[in-house]
Amino acid sequence: MLLKSVNYVRPESVADALEILSSNEGAAPLAGGQSLTNVLKHRVASVDLLVDISALGELRTITRTGDGSIEVGACATYDEIDHSPEVRAGHDILAREASHIEDQQIRNRGTIGGNCCLSDPTNNLPPLLVALDATMNIRAAGGSRQVVAEDFFKGYFLTALEPGELLVSITIPPIPAGTGAGYVSLSVAADSKTIVRAAARVRVNGVIEEARVVLARVASVPIRHYAMEEALRGVAPSAESVRAAAEMIGSDVEPIADGHGSSEYRRKMARVVARRAVLAAIEEGGRK
Amino acid sequence: MTEQGTTHVIEVTINGRLYSRTVEARQLLVHFLRDTLDLTGTHIGCDTGSCGACSIILNGKLVKSCMMLAPQADGAVIETVEGLAHDGELNPLQESFSRNHGLQCGYCTPGMLMAGTYLLRENPSPTEEEVRRGIKGNICRCTGYVNIVRSIMDVADGPGPEKAQGKVGEEQR
Repeated sequence: MLLKSVNYVRPESVADALEILSSNEGAAPLAGGQSLTNVLKHRVASVDLLVDISALGELRTITRTGDGSIEVGACATYDEIDHSPEVRAGHDILAREASHIEDQQIRNRGTIGGNCCLSDPTNNLPPLLVALDATMNIRAAGGSRQVVAEDFFKGYFLTALEPGELLVSITIPPIPAGTGAGYVSLSVAADSKTIVRAAARVRVNGVIEEARVVLARVASVPIRHYAMEEALRGVAPSAESVRAAAEMIGSDVEPIADGHGSSEYRRKMARVVARRAVLAAIEEGGRK
Repeated sequence: MTEQGTTHVIEVTINGRLYSRTVEARQLLVHFLRDTLDLTGTHIGCDTGSCGACSIILNGKLVKSCMMLAPQADGAVIETVEGLAHDGELNPLQESFSRNHGLQCGYCTPGMLMAGTYLLRENPSPTEEEVRRGIKGNICRCTGYVNIVRSIMDVADGPGPEKAQGKVGEEQR
């Protein structure tokens, strides 16, 4: 397939990339290209200059900090995350979910930053990052800022990034003892497009002390379900109480309808995956 | 490469041979292989990254060459299906595809062979499930995958339980 003529540049550093991005209105960063290449083929977006950031080593590092947080460079591929001893040491769920994205070829090229910046509601990692209370580290030619994952995803293919800004890394806080994470998808087929999914992080100390429950594919962006979170607080970590809390997912959630399911079907399945994700989080927290 | 341009000179090592060419930035890597270098063993199926017929190994990683631009491959070491056979002799995986009827029309075969090559390098004794996951990005519209999975399992190391299952399948054939 023939693409529209495009300029291409491979900057030598993040600073160079930011300079180019801020001084060229039609410039776009190219990371793994597993979505952008198709966007260019179908000419659904116009890009004059591709700034290839995929080879920048400073965007590919994965480091565990003293407090147990993990900082993942935006251009770390799913396969690198899956096989990273640093990720597996404390954030096994991130490695696990990265290993279930599409197929081996895509995992070898696709990046965590691209997965987030595309803000496709079917993407795997955004709901997990919201559940784990990740922070998105953003740089521009003029400085840097941080945005929590919950505020990063703004709509279909829309994020908090301003023109000229680049997501450089993602910091995920530690998942301490007693806290677990869960992630459950209802998908068309194994490792493929999801119909509805939920991610959860739950802290248990006798009773459930804190829960973050995130639903995906029921809205344009991952959403926390605050009413279910509230219903979980202070209750026993039992199947019955989690089931009751999941009933809070009601008419407040108005999922999209498509060939894979009606809105009502998605709402019902949202309760199922949310319940299972919370139970998985409780179980994982209990094992530590 | 550090200068902007709609054309770039790239250097790529493919199956041990160095190629230097001027390419348009918009050229897909698969077209560079097929049209510019006449290495037509790598196929184009869907052109959208779904079918895996264009799979190659780039810097040791299995990738779909329709999902990359040619300039992105500058400096890369690439293996394509043309690099598998030596002196006209099929390699063991190719031989196994032939022996196990791992192809019918052959369209997906270059991609399947590269996916199988990568899989066995990463995991020399895969289970059947691991083989099936390993070729998830490669679509075959003829065979139903049974003989492709068998072809890969047949050259894998070690007599694991799944490997033994493959032998049972062979007897049934």
